[in-house]
Amino acid sequence: MSVYKHVYRAYTGKVTPDYARVLVLTRYAFAEAWASKISIVLFVAGLIPLLVTLFGIYLANNPMARMLIGGKGPDVLSIDAAFFLHALIAQSWVALILTSWIAPRLITFDLADNALPILLSHPISRFGYVFGKYIAMFGILSVITWIPMLLLFAYQGYSAAERWTGGHLQIAVGLFVGSLIWIAFLSIVGLAFSAWVKWRVVASGIIFAVVLVPAGIGAIVTGVLGTKWGFLLNIPFMMATLWQRLLGVPGDVVPGVYLSTLTIFFMLTLISAGCIAMLNARIRAREVVRG
Amino acid sequence: MSIVELDGLEVRLADRTVLDGLSGTLRGKAIGLLGPNGAGKSTLINTLLGFHRASKGSARVFGLDSYNDRGQIRGRVGYMPENDSFIGNMSGVHFVRYMAELAGLPAGEALERAHEALFYVGLGEVRYRKINSYSLGMKQLIKLAQALAHGPRLLILDEPTNGLDPLARQRMIQLIKEIRKEGSVQLLISSHLLRDIDETCDEVLILKKGRIAALCNIEEERRSNRSFVELETVGATEQFAASIRGLGCDCASFPDGRMKLVVPDAVETRDLYMIAFEQAVQIRRMHQRRDSLEDIFLRAMDGERVPKTEVEGLAHVGL
Repeated sequence: MSVYKHVYRAYTGKVTPDYARVLVLTRYAFAEAWASKISIVLFVAGLIPLLVTLFGIYLANNPMARMLIGGKGPDVLSIDAAFFLHALIAQSWVALILTSWIAPRLITFDLADNALPILLSHPISRFGYVFGKYIAMFGILSVITWIPMLLLFAYQGYSAAERWTGGHLQIAVGLFVGSLIWIAFLSIVGLAFSAWVKWRVVASGIIFAVVLVPAGIGAIVTGVLGTKWGFLLNIPFMMATLWQRLLGVPGDVVPGVYLSTLTIFFMLTLISAGCIAMLNARIRAREVVRG
Repeated sequence: MSIVELDGLEVRLADRTVLDGLSGTLRGKAIGLLGPNGAGKSTLINTLLGFHRASKGSARVFGLDSYNDRGQIRGRVGYMPENDSFIGNMSGVHFVRYMAELAGLPAGEALERAHEALFYVGLGEVRYRKINSYSLGMKQLIKLAQALAHGPRLLILDEPTNGLDPLARQRMIQLIKEIRKEGSVQLLISSHLLRDIDETCDEVLILKKGRIAALCNIEEERRSNRSFVELETVGATEQFAASIRGLGCDCASFPDGRMKLVVPDAVETRDLYMIAFEQAVQIRRMHQRRDSLEDIFLRAMDGERVPKTEVEGLAHVGL
């Protein structure tokens, strides 16, 4: 099978190991994600809150800079768990926006032209297929969440005049674990809803709606029934509560409303399980028509 | 060595038995899978690829269980599905390279093979165009290219000539013949077009309602079947028919002087003319034909399974 001879030639070279096939999917998914200029624009825009945070850390640790902007004392901007919580919340919204744009790109192109029968006829399982895409989504979101957040933490440790890092390790752990939970959750939700909608724009809207609409419904439930359990549908609230506890910030996100960490984990696990079931039903080489 | 072994294979989908107790061994260089719509051809292919699990019995490809060893099997198989199946926003070469890498080729090798495969199937000039912009024939060819790129041992083609114009069909058939001739790849071709199977395959498995209706070697069948002759005569009598039978032919007479004969190889056309001349019978029209795949198929569709040994006996159905 030569370009010039136009004859078929059997392949006798080496073959990559099985696990590498998943990474092939990941690599092509990365390429697909960044092929869009909008992805680049969103990513760059997503760095703005980080730059603001970086500037805040610089200001807080540089007396000259504080003096120049008219700062009165060292406590004008306190770099503590609450400061990093605000930064984490800002980045979590950026992650949601990126997910709603990128996740549909990873799946809908395969579904639109019915590529699954060909993709899955190769030595890759359905789990491998989803996992490959998942790694890509998780990796992209990592670049915008826990990696820069930990770098900011390191910068604060470096800039602080006193020994700061050792006494605030819980913040680093909270940033890392809190980000991982959020992007793991977002990735699975993004892929699951993308798998069920062929039109990318609609899929993007649905991913947003999945996070925001139940929160609205939960607020109605809470208002009408006078119960706190409506907050179980409020994903932003549950995540903020979780992050607050992980970072060690005192107080409640909504005064008087308390959800246990176990309850929050249960809800997130339940939603994720639903998403896995959606993927299991949709990612198939063949549809079995009933009846 | 056998490519596919079926042992009482039963596949149920959505509480419906789609494949019902298939047993047999496929050894041909190019195996045709024939049957009317809904006979179970695509289900059999999907089962061989490990997409469906056997509810009873087993299917083995290269001696490997089609479900439990599906990863290994898929690494050795190239699959061209029946319907459109591609990633439309990718260029041809990008798509074929992607599929080759998924099959296990390193990135560099995959790119090289993708170019070669695209030139081989005749898409070399359009390999940088997005697949969405391809014609139907080109889309069929890109599916073939991706199935070939990783150098499979078995190439499964599901309705490869679907929707092709005569020229594109001829090109596809020619490609399949070339691949078969090269010898390193065995072919399993599913089609409902007898002519495609007739031109490309040496063995045929005919399915009917999820069961095997016939499994035979096409070449052997052709060799074993005698030629048929249809005559239109004027003045033919019972004596003429008796004289022809005397040559060893099977003969059936119809009104208006029409006759149908099964002629042994030893009897030549000249012998028929001689008898006609001697008995003053005019032969106005003579049509000769050998037993075709169509005959084998029609017989299979008429009755139940047709084992090799019975095929000869059933030749009389043609009369």
